[in-house]
Amino acid sequence: MTTMTTRRDPGGFRRAFRRNLTAYGFLCAALICFAFFSWYPMVREFLLSFQKTNFVGPAEWVGLDNFRTVIEDSAFPAAWLNTAAFTGLALLVGYAVPFVIALVLNELRHATAYLRFVVYLPVMLPPAVAVLLFKWFYDPGPGLFNQILGLAHLPALSWLDSTSTALISLVLVSTWMNLGTGTLIYLAALQSIPSDLYEAAELDGAGLLRRVWHVTIPQTKLILLVMLLLQIVATMQVFIEPYLLTGGGPENATVTVAYLMYQYAFSFGNFGGGGALGLMLMLVLMVFSAVYLRVSRDDAN
Amino acid sequence: MKPRNLAILLTAGLALAAAGCGGSGNTPGAGSSPAGPAAADAPVTISVGCQPPKSNPKERAQWDADVAAFQKLHPNITIESKDAFPCIVPETFQAKLAGGEMEDLFYVYYTDVRKIIASGQAADITPYASTLTTLKDMRPDVISVFKEGEKLYGVPRTNYGTGLVYNRKLFTQAGLDPDAPPKTWAEVQAAAKKIAALGPGYVGYGEYSAGNTGGWHFTSSLYGRGGDMVTPDGKKAAFNSPEGKAVLENLKQMRWTDDSMGTKQLLRWEDLMRMMGSGRLGMMIGAPDVVQAVNNDFKGKFEDYGVTSLPEATYSLSGGDGYMFNPKATPEQIKAGLLWLEYRFLTPGQGQFDYERAKNDGLPVGLPATDLYGATAPGQKINELRTQFATVPVDHFKPYVDGTANVQFKLEPPKAQEIYAILDTAMSAVLTRQDANIDQLLSDAEKKVDTMLARSS
Amino acid sequence: MSHGTVQDSGPRLRPSRPPLAPPPAPEKRRRKAPRQQFRGLVSPHTLGTTRGRVIYWIVLSSVVLGFTAVFVFPLYWMVTGALKSPDELARIPPSFFPDELNFDVYAEAWDQLELGTFLRNTVIYAAGAWLFTLAIDVTAAYALSKLRPVLGKAVLGLMLATLMIPPMVILLPAYLTVKDLPILGFNLINTPWAIWLPAAANGFFIFLLKRFFDSIPRELLEAASIDGAGPARILWSVVLPVSRPIIGVVSILAVVGVWKDFVWPLLVLPDSDKMPISVGISSLSAQMPQNVLMAALVIASIPAIVIFFVFQRSIMAGLTAGSLKG
Repeated sequence: MTTMTTRRDPGGFRRAFRRNLTAYGFLCAALICFAFFSWYPMVREFLLSFQKTNFVGPAEWVGLDNFRTVIEDSAFPAAWLNTAAFTGLALLVGYAVPFVIALVLNELRHATAYLRFVVYLPVMLPPAVAVLLFKWFYDPGPGLFNQILGLAHLPALSWLDSTSTALISLVLVSTWMNLGTGTLIYLAALQSIPSDLYEAAELDGAGLLRRVWHVTIPQTKLILLVMLLLQIVATMQVFIEPYLLTGGGPENATVTVAYLMYQYAFSFGNFGGGGALGLMLMLVLMVFSAVYLRVSRDDAN
Repeated sequence: MKPRNLAILLTAGLALAAAGCGGSGNTPGAGSSPAGPAAADAPVTISVGCQPPKSNPKERAQWDADVAAFQKLHPNITIESKDAFPCIVPETFQAKLAGGEMEDLFYVYYTDVRKIIASGQAADITPYASTLTTLKDMRPDVISVFKEGEKLYGVPRTNYGTGLVYNRKLFTQAGLDPDAPPKTWAEVQAAAKKIAALGPGYVGYGEYSAGNTGGWHFTSSLYGRGGDMVTPDGKKAAFNSPEGKAVLENLKQMRWTDDSMGTKQLLRWEDLMRMMGSGRLGMMIGAPDVVQAVNNDFKGKFEDYGVTSLPEATYSLSGGDGYMFNPKATPEQIKAGLLWLEYRFLTPGQGQFDYERAKNDGLPVGLPATDLYGATAPGQKINELRTQFATVPVDHFKPYVDGTANVQFKLEPPKAQEIYAILDTAMSAVLTRQDANIDQLLSDAEKKVDTMLARSS
Repeated sequence: MSHGTVQDSGPRLRPSRPPLAPPPAPEKRRRKAPRQQFRGLVSPHTLGTTRGRVIYWIVLSSVVLGFTAVFVFPLYWMVTGALKSPDELARIPPSFFPDELNFDVYAEAWDQLELGTFLRNTVIYAAGAWLFTLAIDVTAAYALSKLRPVLGKAVLGLMLATLMIPPMVILLPAYLTVKDLPILGFNLINTPWAIWLPAAANGFFIFLLKRFFDSIPRELLEAASIDGAGPARILWSVVLPVSRPIIGVVSILAVVGVWKDFVWPLLVLPDSDKMPISVGISSLSAQMPQNVLMAALVIASIPAIVIFFVFQRSIMAGLTAGSLKG
């Protein structure tokens, strides 16, 4: 951890000290910001989850009570299952699709600027706007989607209003909002693949799919992996979609962990319970994040 | 749950409410405001929440005028108005409570009062309550909202019982008599069927099932049928009963057999208002403040709507709002705050009950929006004045006034938000799944509520 | 608290090689091939055949049509939806064109929302967040990358650890902190500081900047330090000029992050005249008819689309810079 390796400067202890002093001088603003707005709240959050407090009187330590409370809540297993299902569905839809789109875009020689612009457009909208817009599209009566289905003589769907389709409807919104990011990143990665690799594969008589499998994917493996982890970490925290679209319904079919946490803290005023849920979510995400850091560090070396 | 923007509606609704001042019109001090003994001797400043927002310029101007007049009367008191829009945003409400960021005089819905008292987040104002002369005439069931035992923790501002809001225009279109609104649930079903038959997009009867509003309306319907949410000791759920079953059966019938509730469900507070405003919704559970909201925010017109009492009801869920005091408030601030509340919200003929001004400002008058005094002298004055300065068709609300006269108000259950959240599940199941098993849903909800109540006691 | 960047899976870059790095170290495969010579999966030869050309044009036109339908049509529907009366909106089937082109609803939304105020606030918050983020994160990343202090790795690790915390999780403690800063006792509620300072505590930006600075050849800095330049001087005249691309990326991300954030400003800026636009709109969304709400959404989207239009180069470059496989 400690780096006392001033390579060209053996015995320069004073110099090293000076260097450290300067470095921390440069760092101090960031350290203060992090301490106040990230680290201290994290610690406090950790403490909160073992306390019962309403911030008026002194907090009392209740051990694991908050955890017991939330685990006994019938919405608790539903929230984890939904979060996992949402993450899984979002991976199926939101992870593969951008890659395929990027593969296609990479071959096109016209209208590329336009296509890139529109695919990234939804990412720039405030999330609340995109979500409220879809809420209106999902209206089972005059909503856009059912009207389109009607034009195609397909049966109308109940979208958000049925336990079987509510979650996938949220995934669709989320994918629409965020697909542009993945697409452009993959596109950039694809453009950096040297042509000679493709040419060589072609000489070996590899068809299109085999070229994808043997050249494209190995060449973009790292970015694919990193994006996979980032996507998991991001979608595990899904909140605004259930918050604005369904309020967790119907029948808790769209309650997610982040949403339940929010409900505990801000609708029931049970901050300890919210803290306990937050802590659990944090631990799960840490596992994924640790893998991510590991991967990107290996890449760095 | 009284959803967030109710605050605005009610602020606007203040102008409509009515009162009569001991028969002496508007002169302050004429037997109404006890300016003498309680007047502040030393300068004191109080911050007060829920000033009408800039987007309601008339109500805001009235508020500001009242503040100026009040400060003239009490030169030592300075009022700092805080406008929020809406007055209560759930996520900030809890955080502000927790952070001690609340105004000295903060605005609350009935729903949250119990919890605030229980967690010590409001000041006990019992010692100062004697300065409120209007308290003795107030309906006991209203004032009890802010009481814990013998202690008083706040003052109500508005109060009403739930009824049935309906679209008179659609009634006429569907061949129903708008002056004879449904009196029983069977009549509601029949009327809803006729309205839904007007064409695609028409909804006969709308009901909530998301964002805790589903549980809130379940409670309204259950009380109306004479049922109870929790046992008298507040330790066990009591809604898994014939009444609770009847509530859900009735919805199931309308949603699936009659197909008169539309396809879009998971509605919350603003959705039904919006549907009412667009003129496609026939009926919903609600109080006169709903009409207010539909008129102010959703382009509906007063004359198109009517309100009647809840069908077959003997009890009705009471809703409303009021003010509580920050636990950090000093005695002087509490005294000054009570003076202000009385001036602005409790005195007949002035503040929120100044109908003449409301009419002159072009605000709608005549909705039976608030009932603090029942049949006592001030209460009767309210009705007289409201009728005198009415600008909306009072007859349209007569069924509500007549029907609720003998209906008992009933308070929300303890842990209201948590219970509502649990019942959202049952409501959304009945409205979105044709094969929903009502017995199963009620017993599941009962188990959850029992566990939750056991945990929190 | 790293708002935005964590939760919205916004653009993420992992620069392994600066695209415009100073005299580039010899690299394995960096091809800045001009587009004409570029080839992908399909060989130019195949594209040259008649069959290849037909397939190409079919694919191209279906992609253009599909993208327009999926990404542009919803926006069209939103813009025209605002122009329909509530009654027309509830009509089945809906009308493709509004009955009448009456743009009053936009004026109504503008007035109801006091949009001028909201937009001004948003600009203030975004500009301040941008300045603070750059000033604080660039110096920190530079120190971590080039001065390599004792415990530098641990500090970086702690900073990166904050990325795993969903902003939601620490919402309440962060709020309590901002309300009453420990030790200092300032109350930042309803002040821009409540947005600016937490925005600067962004581990992701520091990580990006540090990776970039790491790739700047030592020789450059050593040359400067032999000339007697101190660390601050080196940062200002050597490091910054060659770091323009990454600074552009971080700037965009910082601004977009503030722009897209929602729950935090909702909490720390409760006064209606202090709200940024996204909060203002959603807090009002529950009290307007559907068409006014749509108009409000359109108005709230315009700045984003304009920003994107103007800066799309930097935004795309940022995404691209991060993902080049070294």
